[in-house]
Amino acid sequence: THKNAIFIGQITRFVLQRIRDWKRSAPVLRLNFRASSSSSSADDTDSAEVLSRYSDRPWEYLESEEYIERYGSKPVWSNYRRNHKGGVPPQKTRKTCIRGDKICGNPCPICRDPNIIVHYKNVNLLQQFISPQTGIVHDPTRTGACMKQQKLLNKAIETARDCGLLSAQLPHVDYSKEDYSNTHGAVAATPAPFSLSSGELWYPWYGSIKPDERELARVKRIYKDYLKPDV
Amino acid sequence: MAASSFTRCLVKSYFCVKCVAHAQTTTRMFCVSASRSSFVDAPKAQFTDTEVQDILTKITGLDLKKVFRPIRRQLTPPKYKLMTDTELEEAVRKAEEQAKHLLKTPPVLPERKPINDVLYEDQMLEGMDTAKYVFTDINFNVPHRERFIVVREPSGTLRKATWNERDRLIQVYFPKEGRKITPPPIFKEENLRVVFEQDRHEDVLNQCIVQFEPDSAEFNNVLMLTYEDIEKHGKYDLLRSTRFFGGLTWHLVNGRRIDGLLVDMLQRDLMQDAVRLVRLFNLVHPQSESAQQAQTQQATDLDLLKIYAQYESNRAGFIELAVQTYEQTKALSSF
Repeated sequence: THKNAIFIGQITRFVLQRIRDWKRSAPVLRLNFRASSSSSSADDTDSAEVLSRYSDRPWEYLESEEYIERYGSKPVWSNYRRNHKGGVPPQKTRKTCIRGDKICGNPCPICRDPNIIVHYKNVNLLQQFISPQTGIVHDPTRTGACMKQQKLLNKAIETARDCGLLSAQLPHVDYSKEDYSNTHGAVAATPAPFSLSSGELWYPWYGSIKPDERELARVKRIYKDYLKPDV
Repeated sequence: MAASSFTRCLVKSYFCVKCVAHAQTTTRMFCVSASRSSFVDAPKAQFTDTEVQDILTKITGLDLKKVFRPIRRQLTPPKYKLMTDTELEEAVRKAEEQAKHLLKTPPVLPERKPINDVLYEDQMLEGMDTAKYVFTDINFNVPHRERFIVVREPSGTLRKATWNERDRLIQVYFPKEGRKITPPPIFKEENLRVVFEQDRHEDVLNQCIVQFEPDSAEFNNVLMLTYEDIEKHGKYDLLRSTRFFGGLTWHLVNGRRIDGLLVDMLQRDLMQDAVRLVRLFNLVHPQSESAQQAQTQQATDLDLLKIYAQYESNRAGFIELAVQTYEQTKALSSF
């Protein structure tokens, strides 16, 4: 199979997919539309058909026969297995499966099927990557998605939650401690400046405190040159 | 006579005319209804009145299974406890208190007045920059409604920030969980329609109270749209036993459109709730026919329903039929 892998690496992406599909479901003869369109394996004719049939409405693919035949009712990542050395997988999946025209060996569950498009309206696909019990997005080490697709997934899930297509867990809002009178000067019109009416003192205790007589006499004696005549 | 009306006041919070004459301390919480009985053009009941809140909490119901239904969150292994009967009752009582706390209605407030206050007009600073500068007071111990946020325009005017700018900036400096800086697209018409078709009104309302302040225009707008949709399709049960049922009832009562809700209650055999709803209607619209008739006849219970059906309702036939069936079943069961 190693020699097969080298040979496969030289063929274009869609022929590669056909062979893999045939290996998975051998008795079914799969007449993929891409195979019937151009038999030549030239890159430019195939790259012109890179746009999948479902690129405008990616949610339709999840109801189509080919999807059901390929995946059934299981999530798209259920039969994917990462290739790595040792028992513990690396904590981050690969950065991306597709660089330019080349696709790597064993691409992740989203990259291996060009009809699967990560879009915020594709709610059924997004739900497959969210845990049904906790509502948290699955880790890429669990699903096998490459980091680029995982980022796109995160963004799409966030947009879907903003638009209300996916349910989100929200905190409980407590209204008991807030005051909504809106009377403070910061949010209401600035109150008029305080002006003294005649006879009123600035501080209310001005009139009530009586100075010590001897202190008063001493101060008056010191400053007697500067006092106003009527004081 | 006085003793019987006194007990009636204690058991049911309906009219107690006699209590006005006797200076009894227990009539303090019923003073709203007591005063109305003496004046014809009495003031309309407000949302914050004790009696109104009491009726709304009772109508909302307390379905523990719905309030504490399993939500999606980080799971822990389940805990099993062996309890005696008393401990079990104590646990149920605590759960009910927690549920009551969770079911508190969000406040219904009048729309906040826009802030148009210019603090200073400085021609010297005109054209100094093409952007506005916003100065926010970020002291931690200041309540958000007393925080000063001012804007220096490129024309040199120093003005107080508008409510939208205030909300945005307070979210920038003191972020609240779940709130976004700009309102998410779920509150647009087309997205709201999609969500209402999926019967997820409660999610929309939760998002709304997390995102907006209770006295803002967008908050009231979204609430109104949701309540309209619920009333159009008769999906009252979606909000029953949530914290939004009180708001829904208040909106409908103010719009004098309680027929749909009343019919729904009667269909589900919630007679007491229906009676309380009609009572709330009479409190909020004391000048209406049914309120005045009820006052003159001193009606209670099912008589209130009959009076309402006679004078105000569009679906009078159904209501009267339901009341009759209930009375018959009660009479049959008592034998």
